[in-house]
Amino acid sequence: MLFNSLSFILFLVIVLILYYAKWFSWTGKKRMLLLSSYVFYGIWNPPLVILLWISTMVDWTAGQRLAKEDNPHKRKFWLLLSMFVNLGFLGFFKYGDFLLENFVMIMNAIGIDFQAQPMDIILPMGISFYTFQTMSYTIDMYKRKIEPARTFLDFALYVTFFPQLVAGPIVRAKELISQFYEEKKATANQFIWGLFLLTIGLFQKIVLADTLLADTSDTVFGSDKLLHGVDAWIGTIAFSGQIFFDFAGYSTCAIGIALMLGIILPDNFKYPYASLGFSDLWKRWHISLSTWLRDYLYIPLGGNRHGITRLYVALMVTMLLGGLWHGAAWTFMVWGGLHGTYLILERLQRRFLPFEITKWNGLFLAFTTFSCVNITWVFFRARTFETAWNMIKSMFYFQTEGVKILDTFTIIKVSVIIAAMFLCHWFMRNTSMKEVSLKTSPYVLGVIWAVMTVLIVVAQGSGEQFIYFQF
Amino acid sequence: MNLKQSVIVALILTVIAIAAWELYWRSQELHPTLNDEKALWALARKQVETASKSDVVILGSSRAYFDIQVETWEEATGSQPIQLASTGSSPLPTFHDIVHNTNFSGTVVIGVTPGLFFSTTYPGAFPWKRAQSKVDYYQDQTYAQKLNFQLSIPLQKNLVFMSGDEEEWSDDIDLKSLLRRIHVGHRTEDPGMPPFYNFGDVSIPRNMSMMPRTVTDTAFANTIIKVWHFFGKSAPPPDKTSTMDYFLKDLEAFKARQGTVILVRCPSSGGVRMGEHMGVPRDGFWNDLVKEAQVKSYHFEDYDQFKHLTCPEESHLSLDDANYFTSELIKIMKADNALTNI
Repeated sequence: MLFNSLSFILFLVIVLILYYAKWFSWTGKKRMLLLSSYVFYGIWNPPLVILLWISTMVDWTAGQRLAKEDNPHKRKFWLLLSMFVNLGFLGFFKYGDFLLENFVMIMNAIGIDFQAQPMDIILPMGISFYTFQTMSYTIDMYKRKIEPARTFLDFALYVTFFPQLVAGPIVRAKELISQFYEEKKATANQFIWGLFLLTIGLFQKIVLADTLLADTSDTVFGSDKLLHGVDAWIGTIAFSGQIFFDFAGYSTCAIGIALMLGIILPDNFKYPYASLGFSDLWKRWHISLSTWLRDYLYIPLGGNRHGITRLYVALMVTMLLGGLWHGAAWTFMVWGGLHGTYLILERLQRRFLPFEITKWNGLFLAFTTFSCVNITWVFFRARTFETAWNMIKSMFYFQTEGVKILDTFTIIKVSVIIAAMFLCHWFMRNTSMKEVSLKTSPYVLGVIWAVMTVLIVVAQGSGEQFIYFQF
Repeated sequence: MNLKQSVIVALILTVIAIAAWELYWRSQELHPTLNDEKALWALARKQVETASKSDVVILGSSRAYFDIQVETWEEATGSQPIQLASTGSSPLPTFHDIVHNTNFSGTVVIGVTPGLFFSTTYPGAFPWKRAQSKVDYYQDQTYAQKLNFQLSIPLQKNLVFMSGDEEEWSDDIDLKSLLRRIHVGHRTEDPGMPPFYNFGDVSIPRNMSMMPRTVTDTAFANTIIKVWHFFGKSAPPPDKTSTMDYFLKDLEAFKARQGTVILVRCPSSGGVRMGEHMGVPRDGFWNDLVKEAQVKSYHFEDYDQFKHLTCPEESHLSLDDANYFTSELIKIMKADNALTNI
């Protein structure tokens, strides 16, 4: 079910009525939330709920055993079982065709004539998110960092909680499970703020991402021509804005909906396009994934504890796998590789060319970071290397002979939106929406809220899927 | 922070603004209408799964959609046909879907618009992709999509501003369409398609009727004619061999399970008809198709009842003429024993 759909509005109203009615005990409300979460997921493709159940059962069992078991071999077995099942699901459903394709390519390259039909496996929505979430529970249990969930219901709800089930934030057990132990009820202010966040999230998705930016990036990246430099840049920055508004919009909706239920989810984005360098970027973009990769991949790979070379290797491996997490294609690996390279270069700069960041060079640094991020988006968005390479050629050789496919109004529209987004991120980088709203007159806030709602209604949207659902 | 004040202000302003938006567009003489979307097509397509030998399915392009009126058909025959014709589409992918993905063995009436029927079998080509996308949507439709559509019907029927049609008409009033109307300079070399305004109202059961404005407002009708001429000039040459082969193969399979196919050529007039005479003449296309298919077929030029019919925008009949065409066509078919199953 999509947040930007009529069925979700109906679903949310029913859930809220059942949640706040006095018909159920807290356990009954949790059961209702769990059932609603399965409906939320299953209404897309009912059989795939079974994967969620398997993942839940395996990690619940592993967690319970790890809580009681002291034998290191047996503890390792339960950890490996959880990783085998979760990564096995990911490997089969997400990377099955990719692995097969590459296997065929290697066979052919070494002279063995081998052909295979693509398996055409359906990708279960949000599989990368919920498998990472359940794995984090088992890994933390293995490392004895957390207590086991008190009941199966609490754990199942942690895995399946509908606001963040299909596209995050990827919440750690310690942040969410404990919230299910005591009855939760939003205060009036929390409920209204949650509704406000839901409106902002939908505004970002429906108006900014889908209505104002998506067509431009689709047109540019869908073109098979060598484009004029301006068109290539505009298409790239349009995608840059689209993916931010799409994904941050989803996270904002998720946080808002959870808050309406009295549940607090962590921030997933903190104005990332005004980052001062790439370490800063990854503290602001998809925070729940970057901290997951840091804690469960980068640090186990050695992190910064084993010398400079090992650090760079760990950084690069983390970013390459982070790229692959987003999609089963080499273009995503290149995207991850570019981010890994940027991070390494940044560390080298800090070591050999350190400088102080001031207000003035800060803006320049933020703009440089944003520009470099835009280059990486080319590989993220392009379906083939040929398209990506054509785009890069257009962007850097500035192909004045390239084909112009965007009209002037589109160029103006995208430039204004992206400039406004960048400046907004710059001015908001050290504050938060909550802090700004506290300083804003309630009437002004009401007017802003109304403008966003009316624009959502006028835009309507065609129920476009969120980009990150496919990851 | 007083959020209660904010939410009240937001609520009042939102209600006022949306009411004003709705009233403004009504004052511009727009009226609420359903969108002709894939979900509506899927609703009709679902009926084929349980259709019996006595049922009729209509396939084709927009002419079969506008010119064969579902209610008139029902009045004349006692049974409602399943309307699956689609604008700007080749009927071949839909016929293929019915032959291979259903057990239907009733009657399929196929409207033959030569420029689309004989256009292509290339999956990436517009007339093919358009029809295939509906078939794919039906096959992949989720429960959530079905529910969204059911919930949107009362809104679409009652609110003018719910006009974000998949067709992306030039006179749609959703935000994306309104922004598309703004033009600054002439940066691209592509002359672009002339503005294409919606000229049909669709209803449930899936039935299309020409908007009265198309009949009464010549300037408006001319804007549609310009679009047909644009398509006519920019269309690639027809691919008679592959389209005929593809269709005849499916037809053979359908006949083998005792299904009946009827071919109908609906009227066109003016420049569009002249263009068809030149690009896809009757002799080289329709006549060959009829000869190879060996099924009942009806060309409007062969019947005195239809010779006086004129299409206001050269390609489709007005609602009155469509009702007349439908009832007369049924009389002709009945007299010819073409509708024996009904």
